[in-house]
Amino acid sequence: MTDPMPEPTHAPLHTVSRGRARWHRGLIRPVLQRRSDVVPAAQAIAFVIGIAVALVAGALLLLAAGNDPAQVYGRMLDSSLGGINSISRTLLRATPLALAGLAVAVAGSMGLWNIGAEGQMMAGATVAAGLAMTAGDLPGPVLIVLMIGAGAVGGVVLMAGPALARAYLGVSEIITTLMLVEVSIRVVEWLETGPWKDPESQGFALIEPLPDQASLPGLFGRAHIGVLIAIALLAAFWLAVSRTAWGYELRMAGSSPATARYAGISLQRKVLTALVLSGALAGLAGAVELTGTATRLDPGLSNGYGFAGIIVAALALMRPSGVAAVAFVFGAVQVGGQSIQTLGVTSSIATILQAMILIGALVAAVLLNYRVRWVRPVGHDAEATGV
Amino acid sequence: MPEPGDPAVSPGSGDGSVVVDLRGIRKEFPGAVACDGANLTVRAGTIHALLGENGAGKTSLVNVLGGVYLPDAGEIWVHGEQRQFHSPADAIAAGIGMVHQEFRLVPSLTVFENVVLGSAPRYLDMGQIVERVAHLAATYSLQTDPSRPVWQLSVGERQRVEILKALWRDADVMVLDEPTAVLTPAEAADLGLTLRSMADRGRSVIYISHKLDEVLAVCDEATVLRNGVTVAQPRSLAGIDRSDLAEMMVGEAAAQIQRPTDQPSGDIVLDLEGISAMSDRGLPALHSVDIDIRAGEIVGVAGVSGNGQRELAEAIAGLRPTTAGAMRLAGTDVTGTSPRARSRAGLAYVPEDRLGVGLAPTMSVVDNAVVRSYRSMRRRMMLDLRRCEDFCRRLIERFGVQVGRVHDSVGVLSGGNLQRLLLGRELTGEPKVLLAAQPTRGLDVVGIAAIQEQIVAQRAAGVGVLLISEDLDELLALSDRLVVMYEGRIAARLDPRTTTRAEVGAAMAGGGGT
Repeated sequence: MTDPMPEPTHAPLHTVSRGRARWHRGLIRPVLQRRSDVVPAAQAIAFVIGIAVALVAGALLLLAAGNDPAQVYGRMLDSSLGGINSISRTLLRATPLALAGLAVAVAGSMGLWNIGAEGQMMAGATVAAGLAMTAGDLPGPVLIVLMIGAGAVGGVVLMAGPALARAYLGVSEIITTLMLVEVSIRVVEWLETGPWKDPESQGFALIEPLPDQASLPGLFGRAHIGVLIAIALLAAFWLAVSRTAWGYELRMAGSSPATARYAGISLQRKVLTALVLSGALAGLAGAVELTGTATRLDPGLSNGYGFAGIIVAALALMRPSGVAAVAFVFGAVQVGGQSIQTLGVTSSIATILQAMILIGALVAAVLLNYRVRWVRPVGHDAEATGV
Repeated sequence: MPEPGDPAVSPGSGDGSVVVDLRGIRKEFPGAVACDGANLTVRAGTIHALLGENGAGKTSLVNVLGGVYLPDAGEIWVHGEQRQFHSPADAIAAGIGMVHQEFRLVPSLTVFENVVLGSAPRYLDMGQIVERVAHLAATYSLQTDPSRPVWQLSVGERQRVEILKALWRDADVMVLDEPTAVLTPAEAADLGLTLRSMADRGRSVIYISHKLDEVLAVCDEATVLRNGVTVAQPRSLAGIDRSDLAEMMVGEAAAQIQRPTDQPSGDIVLDLEGISAMSDRGLPALHSVDIDIRAGEIVGVAGVSGNGQRELAEAIAGLRPTTAGAMRLAGTDVTGTSPRARSRAGLAYVPEDRLGVGLAPTMSVVDNAVVRSYRSMRRRMMLDLRRCEDFCRRLIERFGVQVGRVHDSVGVLSGGNLQRLLLGRELTGEPKVLLAAQPTRGLDVVGIAAIQEQIVAQRAAGVGVLLISEDLDELLALSDRLVVMYEGRIAARLDPRTTTRAEVGAAMAGGGGT
């Protein structure tokens, strides 16, 4: 039996390693404490502040590298958000990020981590491409709908093993989903050089191109209607989680498994559905990316979107509305980061800049969950002032 | 029982000087005060028992000593010097060694690697280290094979590795938090010998346990905590028996709500026949328990915690599989059925862990209010949120739950309000049987009275109540009949009208009853 006292997570989280206690004697020192009263609005504000801090730090970096921060930031902003074409480029990037982020968030709302969305995207795109090759003479709308469905199936196929192993054997889904990423990419590489090799590729390892009609209609500029698919799915997930009994059970099982068991909810079934749905959404994301942006399947199609989706979902605290917002910002940062290379910013500096902005947002989101207390080390009268 | 002054119970070869002195420790957590005015004085060369009910603050107090928690008030003196521990590393440096309930070992490393991890000499001479670890193990009769990986070891062996770890770091105060909870009786006996050999060499041991027999057999001195306050510090356990200790832990009678005096005569609504079940560790925890409860009757279950009460409650609720026996609930056989089936058959359950099992801490008050009834609040696939909210508001009003907004997370409520919400939710389905485990533990006076009034009201409404509690006064005042559990069995069946606290205390300590 344990004393029903709060977990040690409530204890001060020491900010510095405390190997030499004597050093601290007589010094006022900061201690991080978890707070329980974080509201989503504050989360959004922290997000913005974090990005702002990162931009200031990035400016110093740019100055050191001999660039003009104002010019660079101006270009970043202009290329990603300045005008309809720029926004369409951001949306083009944000679409797969949002879908992958949603896939990760579905599992995440149950406390599960689908680290392999990248692989499920590839699996989905592969099954969708295979369908297009065998049923290439179907009319466009029918073919596209079938391909997107096939993408979901592909994602589920890749997720089936990890989901069953997790639900019934307790095998960590983090490891299994991650390992299958490599498998799915290798499969595409094999298809590329073997069975699906384009006979007209003249020795290049290329898969047969998709039929012309297997291309998602455009929306505006560079964006395609995948944007609408992503928004619709995010809305559907939000509705399902917050307004249905199914979603209630999912939230209960995710936030307090013992309570869910007590309420007669089958945890195994909930784990299984959450992971399978997550795999299906990631696979669908792969099919949307294939039909939306590519002329043929290739091993680079998923382009890291599946992994980025983990960051998107985590920053969004697994909430659908958050996923949309974070994916959009993430997309804009990517577009902006690419565009500034024409100003003579080296690609490594551009990547560092992107990373700093994301880290800034991430750190802000995490720090918001804590408050800093200044503690005077006099033991019994440890005075604290909130900040 | 040895006489005072008997060499078997006098301190070992230590000089009896005070090694650890905790003075007036206060530690507060959000929503709960774990310790307030807790003292602990430990002398060199003694084994010191730290006793108290669940939630009395024992673990928090030793975590303050071990540098895990920073106290809000109070002083820590070690070897006559006031200290301040900012981290477990500080405490280890001061010679405090902790063996926690959950072991902190690296399964893939060997025993000696675990022992020296983080404090190995700069230049490793493996052979020499293994030899020194083996020597240390032999000195304190801690049987282990230093070169085996930890994942291959039994729980008892792992515990020995934890003790070795502390000895390696030259701990002269060893803190063990319920060390025998995970051990077989033979391993527990070995542990006792190990601890005694430490005391004989002048080290001190702080020994947290619920098992009073063990405490009397192993320990020299004791400190008893109740509600975070030190209430007794016997310098010698000679002449003290189990019921004395039980009484110190449970405390004195306070003003108490009483059940009416009428005799319950309803039908039997809950009938347990020969129920057996395993503990979480897969050891037998319940042995053929028979209990029957009539409508309008309160049956109390007494016992020092850890004697099968938790397993009994979970077995009745359907959360823990039974290995033998049958259970009938309001006339239906529910043996082996799901928690939901039992709930439908008329069982209301207030679990011991109200937050975490009974209620989901991060979900809203509404979400928690409908745990039992959300299935009936569906409209097609959708959950009818308005009906959920109405249900919640009625619940809050009827049971006097004080909440800010119903969409706030339930974790911000006070203990008393949590329990009102939980009890209220369980009682709304017009249950036949109320199973309440530790329903008033940790509540303030007002909260206790409110919950006890509800329980008595349910009795009047013809509900059969099984009340599992560690509060003897509560049990004596509310129960129509009282059973006492000891080591997973019913050790005594007593009539609360005629029995005495001493009699119950003796039965709780395994002394048998009438």
